[in-house]
Amino acid sequence: MNSKLKETILNPILKGNPITVLVLGICSSLAVTVEMKGALVMALSVTIVTGLSSLICSLLRKTIPNRVRIIIQLVVVALMVILVDQLLKSFEGTYPIDKQLSVYIGLIITNCIVMGRIEAFALGNKPIPSLLDGLANGVGYGLILLVVAFVRELFGSGTLFGLPVLSALGYVNNGLVILPPMALIILGCIIWIQRSIQKDLQEK
Amino acid sequence: MNTNSNTYTVIYTTLVCVLVAAILAFVSQSLKPKQEANEKAETISQILTAAGFADKAKWQEIGNAKTIEYYKDNIEASFTINGEGEKVDYLDKESATVFSTSELKVQNRDVKKGEEVTLPVYVFSNGVTVFPIYGAGLWGPVWGYISFDESLEKIVGAYFDHESETPGLGGKIKDDPSFRASLAGKSVDFDDVKPFHIVKGGAPEGKANAIDAITGATMTSKGLGEAVNVWLEAYKPYFEASKCKCCPSESEKEPCCEEAPATQTNE
Repeated sequence: MNSKLKETILNPILKGNPITVLVLGICSSLAVTVEMKGALVMALSVTIVTGLSSLICSLLRKTIPNRVRIIIQLVVVALMVILVDQLLKSFEGTYPIDKQLSVYIGLIITNCIVMGRIEAFALGNKPIPSLLDGLANGVGYGLILLVVAFVRELFGSGTLFGLPVLSALGYVNNGLVILPPMALIILGCIIWIQRSIQKDLQEK
Repeated sequence: MNTNSNTYTVIYTTLVCVLVAAILAFVSQSLKPKQEANEKAETISQILTAAGFADKAKWQEIGNAKTIEYYKDNIEASFTINGEGEKVDYLDKESATVFSTSELKVQNRDVKKGEEVTLPVYVFSNGVTVFPIYGAGLWGPVWGYISFDESLEKIVGAYFDHESETPGLGGKIKDDPSFRASLAGKSVDFDDVKPFHIVKGGAPEGKANAIDAITGATMTSKGLGEAVNVWLEAYKPYFEASKCKCCPSESEKEPCCEEAPATQTNE
């Protein structure tokens, strides 16, 4: 694997993480991180949507009329999101999770990461790097989601993936962790940790 | 080729739209049966939860097929009634037919307008009767099921669901088990201003047809209260007809209590 491709994949996960560095997709990361299960499904959905819509837009990039490119991108993204939503609704295992995530699956359309990556990367690059870039950004977003959900479910409900962990030890649930402000605080802590490790992210 | 010309742009966008619409229509049509099956199992699990058979989480655990099986094993009679509280039709037991949320939505329109309605009643073999409710919350529809004991005097349990109420506030109608539990043991009084009260600031001590509203969710509580009352009023003739203590299960195909004064007026 050449170094440029490696950079495409690793950058969105670490140095250019969409949530902690670019601060995109904050809304959904506050809303769907109460439980690991929901966060995992959301992370996978966003990864699939960013990956595939980047791929399609990259394949179409030479044919898209410049004046309507945003609309075309939006149509492609919306198509992917609706497909994911419809599929989630169709399976017995994912139906309750789709119900719980409710509007947030549909709102992936407005997630800045998706459109941002298409505009910034997919329209100027070949299909395969675009696909990888989309997927990597989804993974970068998903990782943060899972970390936040891990803390929130563990200390908010005493469980992980619905299985009792702390609650089995007699832990009293912390209601504050369940509420959205706590997600913001955890997110802030993650950004703090990341910035103190990667010194070049700090502004002078 | 000039991709910036008007003709190209128009043709291109038209093609993309038609193609995307075709894909979506195809996917939606081919996945519909599966989605409807999931929705039906969800509705049945909500009815069973309201009837107090088990907690909502249990139905998810045992899966769709077993939930429907459980419903079939325990349902005594499921039928529809009209605005006068008379039985109109039986819902098919073999296929576990229930009114879906969208069917309730259609009926809700008629209930509010005072037009002719067809409302479902679910009677379980342990005597518990379940009635649905439907209305508007703050951001979207709220609906649910309230179950009564054999004599229709005491509420046994309830389950509420919503489309888009605020999580942690209005969402508590669904997520907070203690709110649902607060209905148990209460009763409904049709002689009161409203049959049932959801009181902001706390229900008065000893009032049998009132519960506390949810703190921080005034509008959702109001909407839910309205939904409960509008629908209970629609079921009022059925409540009155059943006061003569004849259980619907005893006279399977005949209308309940022909001699009762409540139904005589409708002849």
